[in-house]
Amino acid sequence: MAKSKVIILKSSKITGEPNPADVGHLIEMLGEGLMVLASEQKPQIALNEFIPPAKRVGIKPNCLTGKMTSSSPTLCNAIAKLLSSSGIKEEDIVIWERSERELKKAGYQINYSGSGPKVIANDSPGVGYGSDLAVYGKVGSLITRALTDIVDYHINFPVLKDHSLAGLSSGLKNFYGAVHNPNKYHDNNCDPYAADVYSLPVIKEKNRLTIMDCFKIQYNGGPAYNGSYAINSNMILISDDPVAIDVIALQILEDTRRQYGLKDLKSVGRYPSYLKTAADTSHKLGNFEIGLIEKVEITV
Amino acid sequence: MAIDRRKFISRCAKCSATIAAASIADTSSLISIFPADANAELPRADDLSRIEARHYKKLEHLEIECGICPRKCKISPLERGYCGTRENQDGSYYTLVYSRPCSINVDPIEKKPLFHYLPGTTAFSLATAGCNVNCKFCQNWDISQVRPEQLDNYDLSPADIARLAKQSNSPTIAYTYSEPVIFYEYMYDCAVEGHRNGIRSVAITGGYIQPDPLKELLKVLDAVKIDLKGFTEGFYKDYVQGELKPVLEAIKIMHDEGKWIELVYLVVPTLNDNPEDIKRMSDWIASTLSPDVPIHFTRFHPMYLLKNLPPTPISTLEELFSTAKKQGLNYVYIGNVPGHEAEHTYCPQCHRILIQRQGFTLESFNISDSKCKFCGNKIPGIWS
Repeated sequence: MAKSKVIILKSSKITGEPNPADVGHLIEMLGEGLMVLASEQKPQIALNEFIPPAKRVGIKPNCLTGKMTSSSPTLCNAIAKLLSSSGIKEEDIVIWERSERELKKAGYQINYSGSGPKVIANDSPGVGYGSDLAVYGKVGSLITRALTDIVDYHINFPVLKDHSLAGLSSGLKNFYGAVHNPNKYHDNNCDPYAADVYSLPVIKEKNRLTIMDCFKIQYNGGPAYNGSYAINSNMILISDDPVAIDVIALQILEDTRRQYGLKDLKSVGRYPSYLKTAADTSHKLGNFEIGLIEKVEITV
Repeated sequence: MAIDRRKFISRCAKCSATIAAASIADTSSLISIFPADANAELPRADDLSRIEARHYKKLEHLEIECGICPRKCKISPLERGYCGTRENQDGSYYTLVYSRPCSINVDPIEKKPLFHYLPGTTAFSLATAGCNVNCKFCQNWDISQVRPEQLDNYDLSPADIARLAKQSNSPTIAYTYSEPVIFYEYMYDCAVEGHRNGIRSVAITGGYIQPDPLKELLKVLDAVKIDLKGFTEGFYKDYVQGELKPVLEAIKIMHDEGKWIELVYLVVPTLNDNPEDIKRMSDWIASTLSPDVPIHFTRFHPMYLLKNLPPTPISTLEELFSTAKKQGLNYVYIGNVPGHEAEHTYCPQCHRILIQRQGFTLESFNISDSKCKFCGNKIPGIWS
């Protein structure tokens, strides 16, 4: 079985939420990471390995917690600029979330049709959910039209945080924002639901990359922001393997918990077993075994 | 009236709750005797409610534990329970659907079905979005399995509901279509307001509720119809996403508290139609409750996540009907099969027809002073 690459980008210039002036530096970081991930010499060509030009591209941040631990608007802006420099028209970039309220609270500006990337939500006029139930395993859901009808390819843009039920809420779990009934999928530490949701064909086929914002890590007490258990960090993770990147996110989460004297997630009854399920023979979403994951650390 | 449900769902995304009301509750025929344009004048809500929920515990780190249903969801700030209608906001728990019904309709009481409760009358019927289980065969999933913000909702207080019920000449308010346990506070307060105005209340529920809130609720309800969805834990786990044991406990509490109850068992071919299970269930009803508790075996139609099965064969319904009768149950019905002779009520003593029904219409009524007109046998129920 082929190994998966997970790029761990670090920067001494970034700690916590980046300043909007850091966009250039973030673009540089992303470019370095993508070149290593795709084994290409130019960032734009590397990005086109995953996202072909002249297509509409979705970006899904996680904005549950307001400005504190949501996906950074500045990093999102950097992703959008990199996309537009690689042949994607700005107006064909669609940043979307569950609700406009969440986007606004996290610092995004709603943009239905003005210049620049669109910023919309499932509750925006004309978006909503498709009328056909998508079914996989234990999941049966209506899917946001942002994914089914509006975009051709997709970049998952989660954060790294602890979750009181899932254990880990990062890449796979971020797609709970794509379905109309996420409240039905939290039993049993979200296993197999998080794996089943990602296995819905429209998600599995369109999502090409995960870019994980780790500028602030909520290592306990999540998913809401809890300042007692949140630390600043200087990392971005990138991978085209949605399971492998979550496995590395889990390592980081567990390391941080250990560092702050907390028990591991298994001991507190919320190990994210959905990751192993996501790699099993019926899901085959990516690599779970650490021996099949190549971590590449790059400091920019 | 036939409705293409697929077309309906397509049209229904964020659309009229009036349409939703007219489309639910029954797959064989739809009747609304509420004036067609009446709902159009009802006030619409442009937000969700934020009324503190009852029956929950505050935990460490601003988490809460919901105490309404046996699921006992533990919920972090900004998260919702399994039902999707209750949210933890800064360590307090709120219902988002209080005074926010998505469906309002006036139905024959027979449509619930309640056959031994004020026959021939109407029930002012309402639902909010949400449910605390996720039945793969749900007939109303387009309101029960969605979040309240995904529907257009009315803005109707309990006092408004009591007033509208009275206006519609309905002696009863019915909490129905989705799962009223998840709009517990609203149901409770509507029932109180109803009683103040001389209007009774009935709940149409899966019975997945904790004993304490149930006992409190029963004080303001007049009758309950419970959907007993199967009689094995396996079926509840695989097809309901719930548990049988707490439902049986809840049914026993309702009966012990002296509330009029009727049971409905939707027969899903090959999944919950084992006659041995029906025999055990009938024995349980006869011994734990009473042989006089009515049970309705209703016909399944392919829906939601179970579209791969055919409608229940009528022969299966008749076999289960016979099984229940053999186990000594006195009032056994077959539902969703208009015109079937097992939709009538028969006197267990003289076997004459007490209530003759055609669909939701009464064709004859032979009960007087709660007794069979022919032989004087006492017939259980609420008749006036």
